[in-house]
Amino acid sequence: MTLNTDMRVNRITDEVWEIPVTEKAGMLAPARIYATPGILQAMDRGVFEQVTNVACLPGIARYALCMPDGHWGYGFPIGGVAAFDTTSGIISPGGVGYDVNCGMRLIRTDLTLEDVQPKLERLMTELFRRVPAGVGAAGFVRLDRDAFERVMTHGARWCIEEGYGWHRDLAHMEDRGCIVGADPSTVSDHAVARGINQLGTLGSGNHYLEVQVVSSNRVFDLETASALGIIGQDQVVVMVHCGSRGFGHQVASDYLKVFEKAMRRYGIFVKDQQLACAPFRSPEGQEYFSAMNCAANTAFANRQVITHQIREAFASVFGTSAEELGMELVYDVAHNIAKVERYAEGELLVHRKGSTRAFGPGSPGLPWDFQKTGQPVICGGSMETGSYLLVGTDRAVDETFGSTMHGSGRTMSRAQAKKAIRGEQLQQEMKRRGILVKAVSMSGLAEEAGFAYKNISDVVETVDRAGITKKVAELRPIGNIKG
Amino acid sequence: MAHSFRFLEDIAVADIAFEAEGDSALELFQAATDALLETLADPSTVAMTWERDIEHAAMGLDELLFEWLSDLVYWKDAAGVVFHDADLSVVHDGIRWKLMAVLRGAPVDQTTQTLRNDVKGVTKHLYEVTQQGVRWYAKVVVDV
Repeated sequence: MTLNTDMRVNRITDEVWEIPVTEKAGMLAPARIYATPGILQAMDRGVFEQVTNVACLPGIARYALCMPDGHWGYGFPIGGVAAFDTTSGIISPGGVGYDVNCGMRLIRTDLTLEDVQPKLERLMTELFRRVPAGVGAAGFVRLDRDAFERVMTHGARWCIEEGYGWHRDLAHMEDRGCIVGADPSTVSDHAVARGINQLGTLGSGNHYLEVQVVSSNRVFDLETASALGIIGQDQVVVMVHCGSRGFGHQVASDYLKVFEKAMRRYGIFVKDQQLACAPFRSPEGQEYFSAMNCAANTAFANRQVITHQIREAFASVFGTSAEELGMELVYDVAHNIAKVERYAEGELLVHRKGSTRAFGPGSPGLPWDFQKTGQPVICGGSMETGSYLLVGTDRAVDETFGSTMHGSGRTMSRAQAKKAIRGEQLQQEMKRRGILVKAVSMSGLAEEAGFAYKNISDVVETVDRAGITKKVAELRPIGNIKG
Repeated sequence: MAHSFRFLEDIAVADIAFEAEGDSALELFQAATDALLETLADPSTVAMTWERDIEHAAMGLDELLFEWLSDLVYWKDAAGVVFHDADLSVVHDGIRWKLMAVLRGAPVDQTTQTLRNDVKGVTKHLYEVTQQGVRWYAKVVVDV
């Protein structure tokens, strides 16, 4: 098997591969990659370099991991998971990602394709109008500094208090949409200025709002799907992918600078400047953790305000309330975050960067209605090929610090994708295939063409076979909004 | 060719990378500025109704360029604008590099402007500013 690395990669199983500590000076733990042989062969050189760089960071527990949707990222690979001892280990913005708490949200409806198809054009226009996307877009929520600080500390709870959602939504979010320990005093004025007008906006790049259909023949586990509110039968659902926007990015940038200096003081040497880090228990580490939690809460609030707007749009188009349409939140997951969690090794700070928490049945923190199913895991594919709903497993908790994949992962650069197709052409082709796309930027649309991504089904099959997540249903796009 | 830029296809698959070059530090800054402005929106579709004076100083030219490009991203979000152009002055005072800039643009308007990528930040990945003879080069990866 030919791989994009000179390092020795040992087969553990057909879906798990290990790079031993002997392959790079300074590795403190082996690196493990979850992939089929085909996916492993297609992985870029950056994955192998970066996952082994992560394995050199102080306090790393067990393994540095990369999921099958992994590809090169800043510092950590996208799809990277690493857990660090909270006493002796580090925290790194490069292990969280610039878009703090970038995540996925899935909203169910009682509507079917037959109900929606005749009104799809009007629905997408209404969604496009109510959910701003693209460069510099501002949301409809106007905040002063005090209110924005409450968003930072209260997250989605702030939205519910302000009438942007239903109280029961909170139970269906990681950490009930509000991570404790967020201190606005750790956030710069620059970050506040960038974020204060962006609540309720999608952004651009690979972020989107998608109207999808669940066919009965694409429901793989009817009992679990039913417990999550998914019934198939051409049911319409809505998926949202976005994060903390410019605010989270500024938090990450600010603390990368702080950590570059702090590393010298703490005698930490990293193999890549984007792996800048500080001891978790140091003042700098604690301040970043607090600022990161502010950004994470803001991202929960962002997706909640967008959910409110989606419900309003559906209610307007279908002439009845969102409650009548059964628009319950299935779940909201973070896939760029660091969290303190408890495993066999003790208390660990788990970094998930382009990786989703995947707690199995009975795990602490899950709401009562998901105690039997395990945590819902929402994975977005390209806008042409569909997405998946899965659930976490005990095996994930045992093997991968309760983590799994997050999406399909790019294989082609944005510049190459734009050369291969024009946005207007892609929009027309997708319309012919029954997918209505509204986009702010046609060049941005071309960059997101389906051929620029891995086949998400291959990625999903890998985590399903590896047993770290169980697939529940495939979701097929019929309408997409992009920045 | 006083200054130019080109987008790079083979690095940063999920983001955008460009290489800028110029016959002087000033020309390099103009090339890199053009590249970032083009990444955000087509500058020819952006009016000049918003203006900001910006000054920075740094020991290294790489640090100065990083701060300047990060400023563009900051004002894009903080003021909700995209940019038409920037008048730049880049000098070395014997100790530090100094930038004086007048940045011009207009509030984001989806109906009149050709908008492109919402750049979230300038990264240090593969970031470098080098000089070969009299010509300056910069490689920049921006996160979108």
